[in-house]
Amino acid sequence: MTAEPIDLVEKAIEKGEKLGAQYIEARLVDLKSNTSILKSGVPELGAIMRSKGIGIRVLKDGGVGFASFNEMTKEEMNIAVTFATKMAEASGNMRTKKISFSEEEIHIATYQAIGQSGKRPLELSPEEKINRLINLDKIAAEVETGAIIPFRFFQMLDQTEKKLIITNEGARIESETDLLQLFGLIVAVNPTTGSKEQLMIQKGKAGGYEALDFWKIEDYIEKQVRTLGKIVTEAKEAPKGTIDYVVGPNVIGIMCHENQGHPSEGDRILGREGAQAGESYLKQDMIGEKIGSDKVTIIDDPSLLGSYGYYQYDDEGIKAGPRYLLKEGIFQDMLHNRESAAFMQTKSTAAARAIGYNREPIPRMANTYLLPGDFELEELIEDVKLGVLMHNFTEWNIDDRRYQSKYVGLEAYLIENGEVKHMVRRPVVETTTPKLWGSVDAVAKKSLLEFDAATCGKGDPMQGAPVYHGGSFMRIRNVEVR
Amino acid sequence: MRVMVDKLDTENVMDLTIKKLQELGFEDYILQTEKSNKSQIRFADNQITIVKNWASMNLGVFAVKNQKTVAVDLQDLTSETILSSIDSLDKLVSSLPPNQNYMGISDGPFSYPSIDELSDPDLIDFHEQALDKVTASINAAQEEGAKRSAGVLYWDATKVQLVSSRGARAKAHSTKYEYTIRSFIDDTSSGAEIDVGRLSSRIDLEEAGRKAGKIAKMSVGGVNGSPGKYNVILAPKVAGDIVAATPVAANPFSVEIGFSWLKDKIGEQIGPEFVSVYDDALLPNGLGSRSFDDEGHPTGRNVLVENGILKGFIHNTSTAKKAGTVSTGNAGLVFPQNTNVFFEPGDHSFDELMEISKGKPTIYLTNNWYTRFTSYADGIFSTIPRDGMFIIENGEISKPVRELRVSDTMFNIFGNIKALGKDLKQIKSWEVNTPTFIPAVLLEDINITAATS
Repeated sequence: MTAEPIDLVEKAIEKGEKLGAQYIEARLVDLKSNTSILKSGVPELGAIMRSKGIGIRVLKDGGVGFASFNEMTKEEMNIAVTFATKMAEASGNMRTKKISFSEEEIHIATYQAIGQSGKRPLELSPEEKINRLINLDKIAAEVETGAIIPFRFFQMLDQTEKKLIITNEGARIESETDLLQLFGLIVAVNPTTGSKEQLMIQKGKAGGYEALDFWKIEDYIEKQVRTLGKIVTEAKEAPKGTIDYVVGPNVIGIMCHENQGHPSEGDRILGREGAQAGESYLKQDMIGEKIGSDKVTIIDDPSLLGSYGYYQYDDEGIKAGPRYLLKEGIFQDMLHNRESAAFMQTKSTAAARAIGYNREPIPRMANTYLLPGDFELEELIEDVKLGVLMHNFTEWNIDDRRYQSKYVGLEAYLIENGEVKHMVRRPVVETTTPKLWGSVDAVAKKSLLEFDAATCGKGDPMQGAPVYHGGSFMRIRNVEVR
Repeated sequence: MRVMVDKLDTENVMDLTIKKLQELGFEDYILQTEKSNKSQIRFADNQITIVKNWASMNLGVFAVKNQKTVAVDLQDLTSETILSSIDSLDKLVSSLPPNQNYMGISDGPFSYPSIDELSDPDLIDFHEQALDKVTASINAAQEEGAKRSAGVLYWDATKVQLVSSRGARAKAHSTKYEYTIRSFIDDTSSGAEIDVGRLSSRIDLEEAGRKAGKIAKMSVGGVNGSPGKYNVILAPKVAGDIVAATPVAANPFSVEIGFSWLKDKIGEQIGPEFVSVYDDALLPNGLGSRSFDDEGHPTGRNVLVENGILKGFIHNTSTAKKAGTVSTGNAGLVFPQNTNVFFEPGDHSFDELMEISKGKPTIYLTNNWYTRFTSYADGIFSTIPRDGMFIIENGEISKPVRELRVSDTMFNIFGNIKALGKDLKQIKSWEVNTPTFIPAVLLEDINITAATS
């Protein structure tokens, strides 16, 4: 017999307690999502996704078990709770270092982060959605740039997620969140030389379709395509040697995410992600150590209203707020769930996120950014003898300890004797994390702060988490470019 | 008419959905249900961190009306959700312009090939054995000198059923396991190994642990390497990512969106003559093996690269018609997808690969991650070696190195294959999504860069 999902969540807690679970959480996630895919103007697919399932996590005898199901019956619930409890016990009995969860304040709360009335994912008509997307493609195809745009791919994805988390400690968090996401790939080709440049687009925001106006998405696409065209027709070779970089919000954002956000994750530092996402160059005993210059303060804050990584309470029911990963260059906060916090004898920093009913909550970033400083952009540039102004990036990667990274510029300009000159092609910053943060000597003011959306990959099975990252502009001195 | 049932099984989910689609006038449809039970053990610092189980049933529908193409993916299989979702699909279809790229789905009925070693009943109730095998693997790594190991073991049993409006009717039952272990001596001395397949009798996690521990030990004391041009020997795990990337890019959908470097390359020599690669859905024990694709079309063995020449792309019915050819049985729900990528092995032992590269600066990469592209259409990329990385001198491994990056083009990687090993390994990992059978590969003149400190 089918059962009401909310009853199953409550019954799961009772069942877990009967089986002797020290801790049990049940998380019901009801996800409604719609997507459209456009390939060079042709609507390849309109799709609807609906999922509803329950994830159960149990701590017993120093071990953890997890089980999920999506057939809403009492039998499936019983099987899941029994499995999670037995496996927690079995693995706990094999452990010499027992797992525990940090003691935390218990919350009962309800919150929403939803779109404007009439603009919510399930409210706006499919016609309006697809027409707006088709128009974006038309803009990309028709902007006159001197280049041709033979490859265009767009995907728009909206979702409404209702979530209920209950624990046997008394936490009960109900939330409803809308998200809008836009992905794209546009390639510009110089018709004479055949030279190509690609732009990967990702926009994302909590809320509904009002986000498209917030992003001024038509203007954004037009500007980006114009820039791509200029890159393939005008950009010259980037300078080499020891030069300065002034990098914009998009580049600062990815650097904050990759070079400081990931290595600050408590589970990585403990080695729990060692097989896949990797470990960290940071260690617990490095808290308080100077990593960057005093201009570098990097914050991760889930509570930024309207952000892509927004939440008020994490997936263990802990109230979220800003975490200072680096404060004036000093390593301060880690991203913890209750498990990693307990191992380090500290408190959770409300970083537990589970992307889907069938995933475990692990420490994740939310919205990571460099705290703006006081400088005007012009002031950052005027002191540079030879350098590059890099607005955004294309290729990037970083090793799994988050120590040595590479960022390749997309829209970038030569700076010579304090003046911005012509465009340069694919400048590369390939450096280590301490060198990067240690070389920042100036950060631009708050009015230049911008965020970009990204999907952060971590976990096995993969959990793609929606995140923001950003900053204003910063100057990096004396980067060696080979 | 609404049909309400208490608990839906595969059959009545299909019946309910088809009835509704027909009522609403959808001309063509493909339905696929998947019922699966998957489990996982994760471990770190030599101890189990979590044991998981996922029980799930889902329904995928691809439907067509007036040449407009729509789809539903449901993991909420109540009558109410199914019916309301198909209603929403009907509203969606009326709002879309026609899909000019859609040219039909495959006409059945079909008979399907049989594939050996797809399923093993012993993998269904495997938890206790799994815990023992993982423990043995961790112990083996420790015996080789590893201080700590982290890893993941998955195993699952899945039943798939497919029905199409064009007469396809297909069922499959399969099992599989995937294992990764990564062992550390210290923070920067590590080794990794994988073991994947479909049969419990093939599982050898102990051997994987031993290899991971051995590589970790060999990598102790590594120093930062120097950038430059090198010959590079890739372990199968790395080759499965950056060498197999080229045959995987032989996909018309990727080409049309600028995600592939193989536009207009069919018929061209893209690799040396001794390299031939297939998409082979029929391989025993292959994680991508399947007897029917997502249109219900029978699968097979298709040549991608023959004697170094790019011979063709994988196709579904629509992409095949557009290209003036026939489906290769590689339909995915939206775009063609690979089954198993299979490299014809060479005839060299690993020692011989080192010997062939004698006299040239050579690096051996045991693992990599984070492959990213500056330009997919040109194949310009970089990737980061992880775990043991070694300098080869005088035909043997001489010393460990660190902190290097492969920064080159996919044309150079595939075109500069110098020799292939003789031992194929099946690869599917965090970095390699498409199951790939590939040996160790020696590449010539590859660009290696390094971070400035």
